[in-house]
Amino acid sequence: MEKSIESIWKEGFLKSDVLIAPKVNDIYNKRSEHIVDKFTRMFKINLVAIVVGSFFVVGMSYAVNIPYMGIGMFIIVNVLVVINKRLMKGLSKIDKNVNSFQYLKTFDNWMKEQTSVNEKFSRFLYPLIFLSMVSGFWFGGFGGDVPGDIMVNELLLSYPDLVLVFGIPLYIWLTGILITVLLAFFGGKIYRWDLNIVYGRVLRKLDEIIADMEELKS
Amino acid sequence: MSHKKRRVSSDFYTSSILPYAAIIIKICRAYTNSQEDFEDYYQEVCLQIWKSKDNFKGQSEWSTWVYRLSLNVSMTLLKKKKNKHQHFASDYLPVEVVEEPQAFTDESLAQLYTAIRQLSEVDRGVILLYLEEKSYQEIADIIGSNPNNIGVRIKRIKERLKKLLDGKVN
Repeated sequence: MEKSIESIWKEGFLKSDVLIAPKVNDIYNKRSEHIVDKFTRMFKINLVAIVVGSFFVVGMSYAVNIPYMGIGMFIIVNVLVVINKRLMKGLSKIDKNVNSFQYLKTFDNWMKEQTSVNEKFSRFLYPLIFLSMVSGFWFGGFGGDVPGDIMVNELLLSYPDLVLVFGIPLYIWLTGILITVLLAFFGGKIYRWDLNIVYGRVLRKLDEIIADMEELKS
Repeated sequence: MSHKKRRVSSDFYTSSILPYAAIIIKICRAYTNSQEDFEDYYQEVCLQIWKSKDNFKGQSEWSTWVYRLSLNVSMTLLKKKKNKHQHFASDYLPVEVVEEPQAFTDESLAQLYTAIRQLSEVDRGVILLYLEEKSYQEIADIIGSNPNNIGVRIKRIKERLKKLLDGKVN
């Protein structure tokens, strides 16, 4: 007679030595591969790298005499760090000791919140970095001549009919505005694209599991 | 890690995890396809139990807590594959799954596990708890579901497992 799955299960474990625990070596020093721990680690590494990078940029911008760029970028990326530090607190509150649905839903909600916040911020991040760079090169160092004004004066010598708006040629305004708008438009998409490359497969899988659980719950 | 802390964690493993290793092994086997992944999952679950032990408030049995945590961790454990992208180890189940010989000496059990691995993540959890003779209410509490639906789902899973074991479904 065909055996039921219940008896296969019961008898199978009685007969086999499958329940012998594998040898564990120093497991408490092991690097966790759990999704929450991985995100926490990734966040920490990214934030430290951003802070270190922002100091490096400030230093370099002073060294090459474009301090406005360094200061601007320092402020922008450190706002990003503060926002993400707050988001990281939410990650540490995720409790694995609740039912599976609640646990996955909490993680999913955190993930959605952090994606939404970072996507929105990316719409400002890239344009602001661009504007910092432009200001850096335009205004040059503190005091002294303004490289942007020197460039405009030289342009006026060659093209005296240039239309100026607040002392800057109109075509430079238009180009700057176009790049800023494009960066604002694609900023959020770049963030999503980046996230999707690394975690897209996993996030879709999590959605699948949650949908299955919701079906079981309703 | 200091020597003292290492000893404390080793004591915790011996006293609080090892007696329940069977639960962890049964669950990890259902979510992995190779001995290497299984051992990684086992170690990770032990690590997470140790890290979360202070959250255990005694509102449920320790064994129920171990079931819940093992399932939660196994369902969301990431592996880095050759292409560097993150995946769940359970994603890599070829249709013609070949269980490593050292895993199961009982052929029927090996076939049952092969069939279980072809279920969705949630269904694997449900059927494992059912086979461990948990009540519908307990399964619903661990998974976070409605006990009335658990019975229906188990019936469906059993039918699918039967088909898989009979070789009617890939």
